[in-house]
Amino acid sequence: MRWFSLLRVNLQKEYIELVRYLPNTIATVFTFYIIFLGMFLGIQVVGDPSTQELNTQYVIVNNLFWFLTMSTINKVGWQVTNESMRGTLEQLSMSPMGIWRIMTARLIASTVINFIILIVLLYLSMFTTGQWLNIDLLSILPILLITLVSMYGLGFIIAGISMVLKQVDAFLQILQFILAGLAFVPVTVAPIISYFPFVKGLDLVRSVMIHGVTLSQISVTDYGILIGNAIIYFVLGIAFFMFCERIAMKRGLLAHY
Amino acid sequence: MSKENIVEVQNVSKTYKKRRQKEFVQAVNNISFDVKKGEILGLLGPNGAGKTSTIKMICGLLIPDEGTILINGRDNQKNRLETLRDISAVLEGNRNLYWRLTVRENLEYFAGNRGMDKKGVAQTIDELLVQFRLRDKENELVNRLSRGMQQKLAIAVAMMADSQVLLLDEPTLGLDVETGYEVRELLKEIVNNQERTIIISSHDMAVVEDLCDRVIIINHGRIVTDDHVDNLLRLFAVRSYTITLGQLLSDQQLQLIKKAFPHLEYIPDTTQAIIKVDFDQDHEIYDLFELLKMNKTPVESIEQGTINFEQVFMRIIKGEEAHALV
Repeated sequence: MRWFSLLRVNLQKEYIELVRYLPNTIATVFTFYIIFLGMFLGIQVVGDPSTQELNTQYVIVNNLFWFLTMSTINKVGWQVTNESMRGTLEQLSMSPMGIWRIMTARLIASTVINFIILIVLLYLSMFTTGQWLNIDLLSILPILLITLVSMYGLGFIIAGISMVLKQVDAFLQILQFILAGLAFVPVTVAPIISYFPFVKGLDLVRSVMIHGVTLSQISVTDYGILIGNAIIYFVLGIAFFMFCERIAMKRGLLAHY
Repeated sequence: MSKENIVEVQNVSKTYKKRRQKEFVQAVNNISFDVKKGEILGLLGPNGAGKTSTIKMICGLLIPDEGTILINGRDNQKNRLETLRDISAVLEGNRNLYWRLTVRENLEYFAGNRGMDKKGVAQTIDELLVQFRLRDKENELVNRLSRGMQQKLAIAVAMMADSQVLLLDEPTLGLDVETGYEVRELLKEIVNNQERTIIISSHDMAVVEDLCDRVIIINHGRIVTDDHVDNLLRLFAVRSYTITLGQLLSDQQLQLIKKAFPHLEYIPDTTQAIIKVDFDQDHEIYDLFELLKMNKTPVESIEQGTINFEQVFMRIIKGEEAHALV
């Protein structure tokens, strides 16, 4: 029940901000759409005509995943920084639920609400390019849910760093390009990145949406990496976040005002 | 642990490292005090005295270098989340709020983050909105409220938790006289109508004098005074005198008196003079009269001084008096 209350108010807050600041929301969708258009036109102009269709489909999925990582992982970093400067982080830290539970609720709420934007962006991209991807929800959703767990782990690491470091803005700026790199570089080019959070999940989602792969066609090894990544990064993320919280409480960094 | 004590601060110290320097600042230096259930305690001290650090350590937001803090008998570091159920705080007033949410949304959001369910808190929110005179502003965005209203909302958010201990760090800081008075009256209502333990840190002496049973004065991270407000006022008042003399003092006499009472204030007029003096010890008044008797200086009147809490505070801080409750 307490978890439910936590999730409910955070969902409510995300929704209120999405609707109340609609111009901001539209601007976000527009920015990612413009970036997508730039890439799409690039493929049209300088891309190999024989792989043009496939490349466009890759760009649609990669761009969506980049948006998802930005709106969860990067956003939680900015939120922690802003809230420690405002003074609300201290107030949240006084909750008997514990700040890590509040952060988990926020990450989930943020993902749920951003899915609305994600769907808009997906259909807008497919409509613009005329490339209609395989939206097999029964295959996509389980992979996506497991992938999100590893993504949250990374979100916790970023939140922890943002809590301890006062001037984290530059790092967060760089992080968006690192996330773009992880979202756009194919696993076939650098297989090692499969072990990075969310990359294996993205690869599998691409396989479903572009090549029509189903859950039964995915290998045990791929499932192993997907689930292993989720568990390891989530546990690591929470442990690191709690470690950072302890440092912040020792040094008096929960408020930066 | 005494059964009556709800907060026990035991030999607590805290040091901060200065940014980009090797120097350390001792914010709190081995302080100990207890707060009884239902007591209203004032924490006073100049800027940088260690009040906010003390409050944050009680809240569990800052880990002490040494010492322990018990809330209801439980160590607030070892049982952090459990002890947080008994505590709520207003640390930075209006900064503790989400400015892009409305008044009601803020109350609902913080309640939900404490794990409280919507139905259970709906009535409490309504009551708080009435009590804090924010009912007609419940759907107003916080960034459109006046500073005073934001401050009232921050206190309402802390009250929402329905905790046994409420900590208020500078509840009237930055408010104009009228709003400061309004917040003070509101706090009085809370103090009078509820059985919460309240710890208030403030620069506003009127707040402390009006609301607190007991006051702890901190300076340079140490407790300088720990006594009841009434005791302090009485103690300082009985030692403060204004004496009107029927003639002026001679230079030699004035020199001798100034030597014995360096802080004495001598105000000569054409034919009369006034002496204002505070005695550290009761018997010192006789020493002064001995010196006045030398030239048979006539004493026309003796008035025992009236003193407000601000003067008491200033005298303590200046080191004129260090009185501790035994």
